[in-house]
Amino acid sequence: MTTGPLAAAVEISKRFYATQALDSVSFEIQGGEVHALIGENGAGKSTLMKILGGVYQPDSGEIRVDGKNVRYATPAQALDAGVVVIPQEMRVVSAQTVAENILLGQVPVRRRFGFLPEIDRAEMKRQARDLLARLNLDVDVNTLVGKLGYAERQLVMIARALGRDARILVLDEPTASLEAREVERLFEMIETLKREGVGLVYVSHRLDEVERIADRVTVLRDGTKVGSGLRGELGQQDMIRMMTGRDLEQDYHHGGARAPGEPLFEHEDVSLREGEVVGLAGLLGSGTTEMLFRLYGANASGAQRDLYKSPSDAISDGIGLVPGERGLGLIMGLSVRENIILPNLDRLKTTIGLDRKAIDALVDELMETVDIRPRDPKKPVRDLSGGNQQKVIFARWLAGHAKVLLLDEPTHGIDVGAKAQIHRLMNRFAEDGGGIVFASSEMVEVMSVSDSVIAMRNGDIVGLLTRDGDYTERALRDALGG
Amino acid sequence: MNAENNNNARIKDFLWNQMPLIALIVLCVVAAIVSNRFLSPINLNNVLMQGAVITVIAIGMTYVIVCGGFDLSVGSVAALSGCISTMVMLEYGIFPGVVAGVAIGAAVGLLNGLIVTKLDVNPFIATLGTMVMFRGATFLITGGRPIVGDEGLPETFLNFATERIFGIPYLVLFPILVFIVFHWLLHRTAYGIRVFATGGNTEAAYLAGINVVKVRTSAYIWCGTLAGVGGVMLASRLQSGQPTAGIFYELTAIAAVVLGGASLFGGEGKLYKSVVGVFIMVVLANALNLANVHSYWQQVAVGVVIVAAAAADRLRHR
Repeated sequence: MTTGPLAAAVEISKRFYATQALDSVSFEIQGGEVHALIGENGAGKSTLMKILGGVYQPDSGEIRVDGKNVRYATPAQALDAGVVVIPQEMRVVSAQTVAENILLGQVPVRRRFGFLPEIDRAEMKRQARDLLARLNLDVDVNTLVGKLGYAERQLVMIARALGRDARILVLDEPTASLEAREVERLFEMIETLKREGVGLVYVSHRLDEVERIADRVTVLRDGTKVGSGLRGELGQQDMIRMMTGRDLEQDYHHGGARAPGEPLFEHEDVSLREGEVVGLAGLLGSGTTEMLFRLYGANASGAQRDLYKSPSDAISDGIGLVPGERGLGLIMGLSVRENIILPNLDRLKTTIGLDRKAIDALVDELMETVDIRPRDPKKPVRDLSGGNQQKVIFARWLAGHAKVLLLDEPTHGIDVGAKAQIHRLMNRFAEDGGGIVFASSEMVEVMSVSDSVIAMRNGDIVGLLTRDGDYTERALRDALGG
Repeated sequence: MNAENNNNARIKDFLWNQMPLIALIVLCVVAAIVSNRFLSPINLNNVLMQGAVITVIAIGMTYVIVCGGFDLSVGSVAALSGCISTMVMLEYGIFPGVVAGVAIGAAVGLLNGLIVTKLDVNPFIATLGTMVMFRGATFLITGGRPIVGDEGLPETFLNFATERIFGIPYLVLFPILVFIVFHWLLHRTAYGIRVFATGGNTEAAYLAGINVVKVRTSAYIWCGTLAGVGGVMLASRLQSGQPTAGIFYELTAIAAVVLGGASLFGGEGKLYKSVVGVFIMVVLANALNLANVHSYWQQVAVGVVIVAAAAADRLRHR
């Protein structure tokens, strides 16, 4: 495996509207190595992965597999080239068995009566069992995938990749939702794959894991490659410094010291006072999103812990939610104006319809305040950039004079300028006496804008950091358990 | 250069947007060329009469489709309410009869809405079921025979379909009134915005504090109510309550709404375009009739138009 890289991305650039997601990034994968790709949210990791997996096409640059230039237009062509991406949200067919999922797309066929093609179930199960055995996995191939847990499903996906003769396997945050025991099993499997000569791309936020299993590390920041090193060359501190561009042991201060006022709400998990920003820190799947939904009354399952019965109750109490997926916050086909007034319609009604004048005045003012561009209230929000879409949701709650904002990853995937604007909006909201609960998986961000931080893991609160205590990123990492 | 491009894009956008209306105008011109009878007062009157009932039903269907739903039961509802209306009318007089017909439409619309929202049944299957159910119920209460009464239905009721004001039958004028009211409700009120939001993204609408169950149910109630109104109009036009009335009306109404450019995924649509869609269907059938095209071929042609319109819409969104 010394004859050049198995695959390489050469000077890849990709732009989305105003955001340069990747700027001439090069990245190599050798057979039999684990190459970790790290960076903060929005650094360009997922864009690079999607380009490797054939989901996006690069604006410029090349993908080479076995030294040959490949241009694939679809994920299927990437699969043919031997590149398999295992995303965080896995696409499995829940209603089919493990065997069917593993051999999806390459079902063994036999000829009944010598001519009638039909699925050879016995052969399919045999092949599936073989693949699972190669990975030392003890799963019944007849089980429906829907009945498996997340960890098993992930392993089934890896077995599927192996069945496709994958030579490059891209794992996106594979341990984000795994327990320690399951992580060990995954690592054993990664060792097995390495021995078989598979090249692995390992994308993760968990630097201790990266340090442990990566043969090589590449760090991305703001769409550029800021460094790389072989095993042992980069320590966790170095990685963090490269990822953030700053030192870890830094004191986080927000603009003006805000004096917390009257309590806004008290919940068994989170209490909030006027002028206060409470951070919820945790990795994907740690339960921060669920916590916000619970505070908003939008989670039917944990009903007894809900503050409110439904979102409309929460809204009438002055609480607004900015969901992490913008598809949950906005009606993409409706205009900016309609999206802003949506929860505030009752105040803008007249006996014969809507108070158009009041609506126009309100929307114009808010578009100015939060700086939504372009200033066209009739534009469908679908046509706006991510940052501007986010500002529309903000404007919606400012229009309703919300006292509390629940923010879920509000700066995820938006460019640096828009991010700063969102932070300023948050700060102004708090200074005007509002309260914010702010969930983020970006530790630097959550620490710098919050007054106190609640650490969450696997749906549980595992730590609380206050500014008069040990308010450091290291303390937060310790609380999150790596 | 840029401004010119911009202008071109705007013109292109406009043409795509007004495609249904352009298609209708072209269709009328072609029909007038093919047959000199097309523009005769008798034929135009015929076209308007044929479009009247479907227009009212398609207005209700637009609400359901914009709200992200679907209603296959409207044809059966029209028959059911036409029959109940005429039965009540023979017993208690014209006004109670009309009210009963419309009320039964509203009631079955509520039933459809509750099945879809509370029992969470797919709208297609739910209303396929109620379509068959309501048709069966209609046959049960009428014994399969038309409702005409021994001395006929009240004169005033029958006259509704035939009497004219300024040369236009009441039956044709009435849908205009219905359109004005429901256009205002869908495109000018807070409720209308909620319908669009719920259809466009139910989850996001819920998180924005909208009671999506209520909004979705209300759309089915409007659809049922207007199918009831259509059924009563139809009974007047047929001079009887016919248990077999309104067969295939659901398909015509859905096709009309889709021809008008509403998205079957919900959240998009314009009420006036649905009406344009209705008249595309009606004028097409009428023109083929005038051109002496065999009725079997007519069906094929109508089917082709529906598929072509839907495909054109997909191309546009690509």
